[in-house]
Amino acid sequence: MANDPLSLTFAALADPTRRTILARLAEGEATVNEIAEPFDISLQAVSKHLKVLAAAGLISRGREAQYRPCHFEPARLEAATDWIARSRAVWTERFDQLEQHIKQLANDTEREKEV
Amino acid sequence: MNDELTELGELTITRIFEARPEVVFECMTTPAHLTHFWGPIGMSTPLERITVEPRPGGRFETVMVNDATGDEYPVNGVFVEFDPPRTLSFTEAGVEGGMTTKIVFKDLGDGRTETVTHQSNVPPMLMSPEAQAGLESSFVKFDAYLASF
Repeated sequence: MANDPLSLTFAALADPTRRTILARLAEGEATVNEIAEPFDISLQAVSKHLKVLAAAGLISRGREAQYRPCHFEPARLEAATDWIARSRAVWTERFDQLEQHIKQLANDTEREKEV
Repeated sequence: MNDELTELGELTITRIFEARPEVVFECMTTPAHLTHFWGPIGMSTPLERITVEPRPGGRFETVMVNDATGDEYPVNGVFVEFDPPRTLSFTEAGVEGGMTTKIVFKDLGDGRTETVTHQSNVPPMLMSPEAQAGLESSFVKFDAYLASF
């Protein structure tokens, strides 16, 4: 199983419940009880989701034993979206150059015909 | 040109080239052509550092060299599909948890070719049918969410 940061991020985000939790936390910190409120699932299930999000670095947990509020940590999500931006830039430049190369090939063929 | 973010962790780039699919496919799979365009701006891909074994399971390896610093960026891919001049796909196991790139070459019938390049680094553990369904169902709204913070 791949466990580099980006894979963990995508794996954590693959679940719709976890994305909803994350959207909630993006608005501000919340306790497990507050997070669980809108869901029709057990506190235990919510805790499991929070563990996955924490392991992926997408949230952090407070230290207060009783409440342990959860905070959204945007850095990992930004790393994931950065990957997309970088990848797009590489392929766009690569294809720009391929376009030029194909033009060059066409010109060369024309010249050969003239000779 | 038409870029879109289809799902989180995936990228689709559509381009039209002024050449027949046979030519574009050959450019994408022949070292003598690849060396002219493979490295993005500021990077070179020396001919002798490109390995293409033109078959499914064959190696597709390139080393991009930063023109300014000399830093090297090896990319070690393996072809999954090699079906000229229609489909090309390769995986890079070592890249950020495993990256798959698939390029479909479409003959536009007027001497031009449309390529649709789809790149994803969805880890293999997410490729189960259930995970796929989950991925497809709700990543669509995710860009709106990303804009919200």
